Amino acid sequence: MKIGSRFIQFSILSPRLVTALMIIIVLGLGALIVKVKVDTDPENMLNQDEAVRVFHNHTKKEFNLYDVVVLGVVNDTHPDGVFNPQTLRHVFDLSRFASTLVDPDDPAVRVVAHDIIAPDNVDTIEQAGAGQVRFDWLMKKVPQSREECLRIRELAMDNPLLKGTLVAEDGQAIGIYLPITSKTFAHEVSQRLKDKIKSFTGDDQFFITGLPVAEDTFGKDMFIQMAICAPLAMIAIFLLMLIFFKKISMIIPPLIIAMFSVICTMGLLIGTGNTLHIMSSMIPIFLMPIAVVDSIHILSEFFDRYQLSGDRRKTIEEVMNHLFMPMLYTSLTSTAGFASLALAPIPPVQVFGLFVAFGIMLAWLTTIVFIPAYVMMFSEESLADFGIQDNASKRQGWLNSILLSMGSFTGKQPRMIIGVTLFVIVIASYGISKIEVNDNPVNWFTADHPIRVADRVLNHHFSGTYEAYLVLGSQELPLTRHEAEILLKKELDKVAGQGPREKLVAGEAASLIKNISASESFSFLDQLGESWLARQDAADDEGFYIWDDIINSLELLKIRDQVFKEPEVLRYIEKLQEHLQQTGVVGKSNSVSDVVKKVYQELFEGNPDYFRIPDNVNGVAQSLISFQNSHHPDDLWHLVTPDYKKANIWIQLSNGDNKVMESVVSAVDNFMVANPPPVELSHKWAGLTFLNVVWQDKMVTGMLNAFFGSFVTVFIMMIFLFRSFFWGLLAMIPLSVTIAFIYGVIGLIGKDYDMPVAVLSSLTLGLAVDFAIHFLERSREIYKKVGSWQEANREMFAEPARAISRNIIVIAVGFTPLLAAPLMPYKTVGIFLATIMVISGICTMLILPAVIAVFQKRLF
Amino acid sequence: MKYFNLIFLLSALSIPLLCRAETLSIDEIVDRANRVAYYSGDDGKAEVAMTIIDSRGRKRIREFIMLRRDNKDGGEQKFYVYFKKPADVRKMVFMVDKHIDRDDDRWMYLPALDLVKRIAASDKRTSFMGSHFYYEDVSGRTIFEDSHELVTETPEFYVLNNIPLDPDSVEFASYKIWINKKTFLPMKAEYLNREGRLYRRITALDIKDIQGYPTVIKSQVEDLDVGGKTISVFKNIKYDIGLKESIFSERYLRRPPREARR
Repeated sequence: MKIGSRFIQFSILSPRLVTALMIIIVLGLGALIVKVKVDTDPENMLNQDEAVRVFHNHTKKEFNLYDVVVLGVVNDTHPDGVFNPQTLRHVFDLSRFASTLVDPDDPAVRVVAHDIIAPDNVDTIEQAGAGQVRFDWLMKKVPQSREECLRIRELAMDNPLLKGTLVAEDGQAIGIYLPITSKTFAHEVSQRLKDKIKSFTGDDQFFITGLPVAEDTFGKDMFIQMAICAPLAMIAIFLLMLIFFKKISMIIPPLIIAMFSVICTMGLLIGTGNTLHIMSSMIPIFLMPIAVVDSIHILSEFFDRYQLSGDRRKTIEEVMNHLFMPMLYTSLTSTAGFASLALAPIPPVQVFGLFVAFGIMLAWLTTIVFIPAYVMMFSEESLADFGIQDNASKRQGWLNSILLSMGSFTGKQPRMIIGVTLFVIVIASYGISKIEVNDNPVNWFTADHPIRVADRVLNHHFSGTYEAYLVLGSQELPLTRHEAEILLKKELDKVAGQGPREKLVAGEAASLIKNISASESFSFLDQLGESWLARQDAADDEGFYIWDDIINSLELLKIRDQVFKEPEVLRYIEKLQEHLQQTGVVGKSNSVSDVVKKVYQELFEGNPDYFRIPDNVNGVAQSLISFQNSHHPDDLWHLVTPDYKKANIWIQLSNGDNKVMESVVSAVDNFMVANPPPVELSHKWAGLTFLNVVWQDKMVTGMLNAFFGSFVTVFIMMIFLFRSFFWGLLAMIPLSVTIAFIYGVIGLIGKDYDMPVAVLSSLTLGLAVDFAIHFLERSREIYKKVGSWQEANREMFAEPARAISRNIIVIAVGFTPLLAAPLMPYKTVGIFLATIMVISGICTMLILPAVIAVFQKRLF
Repeated sequence: MKYFNLIFLLSALSIPLLCRAETLSIDEIVDRANRVAYYSGDDGKAEVAMTIIDSRGRKRIREFIMLRRDNKDGGEQKFYVYFKKPADVRKMVFMVDKHIDRDDDRWMYLPALDLVKRIAASDKRTSFMGSHFYYEDVSGRTIFEDSHELVTETPEFYVLNNIPLDPDSVEFASYKIWINKKTFLPMKAEYLNREGRLYRRITALDIKDIQGYPTVIKSQVEDLDVGGKTISVFKNIKYDIGLKESIFSERYLRRPPREARR
């Protein structure tokens, strides 16, 4: 008895027991699904302890930064834009309303009211006449008159920190930036705002965007996808199979196997404590086509052969003998393809790969065990009308005629087929060279999705709703005691030159230096300061004031490492910002330099000549302390740390594409190489837009490694399966051509190489090799029987080719419902699955026979 | 000397003891608390060390000398603040003319820019030099700006609730204040925001009798919304030192008087 029929004896003998066991397993694992925990955070594409993520979180804490929901209020009909009493009333109400939003279940999850950027919650520095400055709320209460509205516009437009961020330069939009303590609150916030907005009347338009909203909304929509598209795909597959096999009872098993594999895999995924991530939510969609493939092969052949013998047991044994090895190998190769994703350094991708791999092997096992059991549970009578009645009908039908002419074409024109293939590969290589690696979570929504619309409108009006943070850090070494002494003595000499009394005191101060033993500069200065203070206390008034100056120069030395108060460092930041602006992709950047310049200017009556960095450290320090007399002095700490050793440049991008972020990163690198900073500075990036770039990089290289790894693995498996190097090589041809074609097309049509496209390479590998295995295995078998390739070719394009074609059509058409999905990754998967199936099927049935025809002497 | 102090102490204590017999009206409580908190003596001087601690525990220090002179007890008064630390803002001066019936006058002197600047003081609830204290906490909120109500009376405190007469002018909806019945020093103030949530608290952490005046020598303001607090410690406090009115003028901003420096 052959291995195939041996394997299925248990199922043939105890079909009911097999079914009962399956029901228990599926109920047991399926029950675990209720424990599902959803994770829609693309940040989790990176490991929790990934350096860049740790730094991102650290930066958020260090500069009190939060993820931000952006609410845009637009009015392009009123002559004053948004600066009219009614719109400003809406803006005011929305800001006040948003400040109260908190998760009822968890008070820690909330809108950070204090840090909201809205007209009623930001300060302006303004001229208040007669040499006065005023720190006041930009919009303390809702303005009633046109003059008041226009005054608000004037003040906001005059403030470089607000213009382009809070107010659009065209005056038609106001942005309210709502910091939230947790990204998971974004969707809720946007819903509550929408409810509030419903109560408004007028011409105002409201848009909500920001990466957290996109990411959180994606998670919510993801479920709708899984609930609608996956079952729809199932129904489509069911209907197509019904057309091919005509008998409902015979097409139920592939569906059972698909559902069984999907439910068990998802149950196991959730049961083992994994979260349902964007990646793992796609497991059912990937698993379904692969799960039904094997059973379609069996049924297709059973369908063709059953009426010849009329004996279901004999037929199924025969079919299994034929198909056992090819099915085992196709499953193993698909498994290898997906399991290789474990090599990608991205946790959700690893989980995805491993569980799809598991699901494939489970589907294979279920197919082998369940299909024979299922067939045995039917009486011969009920199968009487199943399958092909006579050979005459075999030759009819459009599928048959296409396949037959394909077969004869490959026999007649093998060289031409090979030539065309080579030509296609050349074109594809050019296409691949043009591939642009790029992703943007907002583009995961279709172009007409409200989030995409909001994204477009707001980024048109404002400098950008995508945020990245460039953190500069001082790398300056602390002074040595020796250096501190030299600097101090210089100061003492200066004092000594001012008069006889000064000279006396300075000499006394200098004489105390040698009494201090500390070698480290800070404790040296500390101890010296103490001893000077004691002398100061004992001095008379005149002496006291001299000591005062001397001690202050020592105190200044102590804070010398606060480099982000140094005018030359602030000017360097200013230059860097100008450079960024020139790249054309940065909408705006905000830094501590901007604050200093604005305050300095306002201190000098708003004179534009003073819109610059003051000349010395004390000037900077005193401008900054003036700024801190506002309602929000801590706004400063978003841009610089209180010890002035680190600064944050907040960069607004109007486009969240990874390639945009990448170009900004290299612009900064180039600038810093070409223009060395005045002091040693480190620079590092944070922000969601940057994180996306990092995980994309890992994704691309990870996927590439995984792909090459599994390509080699599959190749070795093929050599083993066919026990021949050349046959193994042959089996790799269709999948190589398919992949080249698919990625060539992606490059040529300018579709970005993004997350779903990256994952598809593994799917292609797994599916495309399947057809080749089936085709080659049967070709060899038939050749052995008939002894000539010409004859074998004719037989190949009958039943075996039909099984392959049915598979292609079922899966290709079965996944068209995905095209209706409002989420792009699902659409992409749908389109590419269909294309992969068609291309790899065509490649298999055209190229393989052509190559065999040309090289038949070497092969057989 | 010892006896002298004791007599002062006794007399300070005896006032509230005498008053206990009669029931004080709310206005009287408010008025007396205001005088005790902001008008001790005819003038005064203190060295202040302010530690600003943010929500992450990062500290910043401000050190300054503060002079005060009352034009009229419970009425107009003047403040002169001379900065000593951080070193890069040393010699900065901040000066206030506090009025009752109109906005205060405020000046700032920035030595590095050699600039005297008047600050429009229409809003007194802005930060005092980056700390969690507001200008109003330093100079005192005019008692006529709120309506006052006695919420409860404990053996130790009068607890007053205060509601601003012009709600748009401030960020709080109301605040409660705990006034010590013996000293009439406000010991605690708690501010509720528009949603009725407690978000800000000022506490007198340490009290000392100085020249017969019960004086807060350590106080704290906490931001309960964002986190973080500022602690002020007062040293070398002196009352009735005979400050001349002339030193509280623009002329003295660039040339601080001896009292402000030493």
